[in-house]
Amino acid sequence: MSETPGTQAGSGTLQLVSRRTYFKELALKNLFLLCAGVAVAGVVLIFAFVGVRGWPIFAEVGPWAFLAGREWNPTAGLYGILPLIYGSVVVMLGALAIGTPLAVGTAIFLSEIATPRVRSIVRPAVELLAGIPSVIYGFFGLIILRPIIADATGGLGFGAVTAWLILAIMIVPTIAAISEDALRSIPPGIREASYAMGATTWQTIYKVLVPAAKIGIIDAIILGMGRAIGETMAVLMVVGNAPVFPESISDPIATLTTQIVMDMPYAAGDHRTALFGMGIILFLVSMGLVALVRLMSRFQTAMESGR
Amino acid sequence: MANRLVRLNTTERGVRRRMRIRAAMFATVVALVAVSSGCDRNGPAENEVIVTGSTTMLPIAEIAGEMFHDRYPDKKVLVSGLGSSAGIETVASGSSDIGTSSRDLKPAEEKLGLYDTPIAFDAIAVIVHPDNPIDSLTTEEVRAIFAGEIENWSQLGGRDKKVGLVNRDEASGTREAFDSIVMGDTPFDRTAAVLPGTGQVRSVVANAPGAIGYISLGFVNDEVKAVTIDGVTPTPEAVVTGEYPIQRLLHFYTVGPPTGLAKKYIDFVLSPAVQDTIIQDAGFTPIIGGDR
Amino acid sequence: MSKRITNAIALGMLWIAALITVAVLGTVIGYVVINGIGELSPRFIFTWPEGVAAEGGVWPTIVSTLYVTALAMVIITPIAILAAVYLAEYAVQGRLVGTIRFAADSLASVPSIVMGLFGLALFVEAAGIGFSMLSAALALSFLMLPIVMRTTEEAIRAVPKYIRWGSYGLGATKWQTVSRIVLPAAMPRIITGIILSTGRAVGETAVVIYTMGQAINLPVSPLDSGRPMTVHLYLLAMEGINLPAAYGTALLLMILILGFNLGARFFLRRNRKV
Repeated sequence: MSETPGTQAGSGTLQLVSRRTYFKELALKNLFLLCAGVAVAGVVLIFAFVGVRGWPIFAEVGPWAFLAGREWNPTAGLYGILPLIYGSVVVMLGALAIGTPLAVGTAIFLSEIATPRVRSIVRPAVELLAGIPSVIYGFFGLIILRPIIADATGGLGFGAVTAWLILAIMIVPTIAAISEDALRSIPPGIREASYAMGATTWQTIYKVLVPAAKIGIIDAIILGMGRAIGETMAVLMVVGNAPVFPESISDPIATLTTQIVMDMPYAAGDHRTALFGMGIILFLVSMGLVALVRLMSRFQTAMESGR
Repeated sequence: MANRLVRLNTTERGVRRRMRIRAAMFATVVALVAVSSGCDRNGPAENEVIVTGSTTMLPIAEIAGEMFHDRYPDKKVLVSGLGSSAGIETVASGSSDIGTSSRDLKPAEEKLGLYDTPIAFDAIAVIVHPDNPIDSLTTEEVRAIFAGEIENWSQLGGRDKKVGLVNRDEASGTREAFDSIVMGDTPFDRTAAVLPGTGQVRSVVANAPGAIGYISLGFVNDEVKAVTIDGVTPTPEAVVTGEYPIQRLLHFYTVGPPTGLAKKYIDFVLSPAVQDTIIQDAGFTPIIGGDR
Repeated sequence: MSKRITNAIALGMLWIAALITVAVLGTVIGYVVINGIGELSPRFIFTWPEGVAAEGGVWPTIVSTLYVTALAMVIITPIAILAAVYLAEYAVQGRLVGTIRFAADSLASVPSIVMGLFGLALFVEAAGIGFSMLSAALALSFLMLPIVMRTTEEAIRAVPKYIRWGSYGLGATKWQTVSRIVLPAAMPRIITGIILSTGRAVGETAVVIYTMGQAINLPVSPLDSGRPMTVHLYLLAMEGINLPAAYGTALLLMILILGFNLGARFFLRRNRKV
């Protein structure tokens, strides 16, 4: 940005190039900037187009009646999404409770315990888990897991608990990958110092490495949270799609994402607007989580430089 | 190019339903144009039959149309699903040859002088787990169960077991039929599981002892038990005689008795080639009797 | 002593966590393979679904999936690579770059159904493209953009600085250095990133379900609609009448995606220059 004409970018010397070359380089640089701007444009467009379609629901139904309304019943003109928000939160929290120990445990295993040979099997397996499409997880949950849950609970097998198990697996790759990066970025000297003081592997992990990688692991959990709230197809196939406050964890529920897919085919008018309104909320939540992660890394940098 | 739809296409049907109003407006415009230009869509010389209407009947009309085209390669059947009302409106206005409808004519529509050819029965069986001791229910009991008023099978003299309600999605034609025949003005219990497919309703009921659901009669198998309704066992015979209460007719409406290519297509749909295959595969009950 | 016991127990738990993860992967893959393998036949792959319960094959859905994925790849690859070149080679750390990175991270975490609603609102309806390969590909390309951008940027940054100095020393301009030296050196990793993002697009359901349409159709032009394999599997699974076809579709989908993943790995191993 602050280059003076006629110099080569980065070199900072006075080596002159022809005016034509200079303009060509400048044009290319701006073209690349334009391409990078596509990402920004994407976010703005999503916000604009989902927003324009969804915004009227806040005006027509009222933000309070929309966000805190306890009944979602479009045929009766009731557009309260609180039961759906509740469903999304319950499903997300349960999935995190099951998935986090599994994922962080796998990450610690990969970074601290596994021999290169074991690692070369486990790590690709974790990555492949991320590659399996959510509709296949949903299919698996619907055909295999649901009857098992039905037998165990005496209900239909649809509900939060089935979604927890499926989603927990789906967020493992996200959390494990980022946690492992955080653990691996800890300098080996820190481990050696701990071992030299007679600490066992577990003491080193528990007292030294996990605290040191804390911010990275929290980042990972936040992103896993985003994944869990945004997951659509797999959850849709196992929750039972009843937009109500459930009596138990094995009763059918619905989430923001699943209700959008279920209702979109026939929704019209305010109903359709409300679905886009739910889209805005999902979008804001996912962006908020990303912002939170960035804030935390800024905080961490500030802490480290202040040290 | 062949644009093959299968019945599985629940969402597409729903999208079409949403477009019903727009489509009805469009149909009106088409009708005006057709009338003013003096063209007669029912002319026997045409090589195309235009079929519009019920989304429930879309798959059978369409697949029958493809078979018809295979049999008479120079004839074409153009099918679109806009909803029963739009189907009746478009055929009355002359912009289609056949209007399909999954309901009877409303009083206002009877004045249109349309000719009715029933092509199949849409009968719905209420299914429970095979081990459920309850064998028979009345229509009122079924309504109370699906409204959430009866929450435990012991209230009906069965085991002490919570009722697990399984409902269909709102884009489903089966739900629409069940809603209008059984529920009437009573709303569904909203805590019910909502599943977008017949086979899923069946397999969920098949392995949950307290579950109850409803599916088209043609999809009932050994995994589930279809209860008698008002003392009538759901069988094709009881449907044809009209004794079984949860049923409706699927209609083809034409302006006057069908003629020309429309008649040829309707006769084809009524022939065993369609009745014994597509109609049954789609879970409907064939309309033709005899030793079948 | 107790310190050792605690250590042994804790390490045992970590082993178990890793084993569960691997076992779940094995179970899901094994389940799909065992149930689906009997369905796979040339007839299943190369014929059309027939009749009310979609008996027969899945050919149009395979074509729709590959079509939309290829289209999305063609649309987004040049943009994503050039964007990454900007971030890695030209950008000066500042508010602008911060905004771009934040936008890319946000795009990467947008729930796929929101991307689907966006595609429906912008491409299908506002732009009037309708339910089509193009609408779906455009929506998918926003999903792929951050993935390709990130892997490309990492690949470019992994190219050693001294290679660039050599190039500049010979009097090359920045673009000459980037296009002739840096990008070729980073290419294997860039291609790996593209293949991985393509695998993601193949498995995506919620983005395409309301942008591509759902009627079974063999797409020819980008404006044709169709039904991808994921949506076909979803509809078959939820309808539940023809589960064998659902297993078969799931297996084909899995083979395709594992193929992309393993292909990317293999490619990187063969061509690891950086």
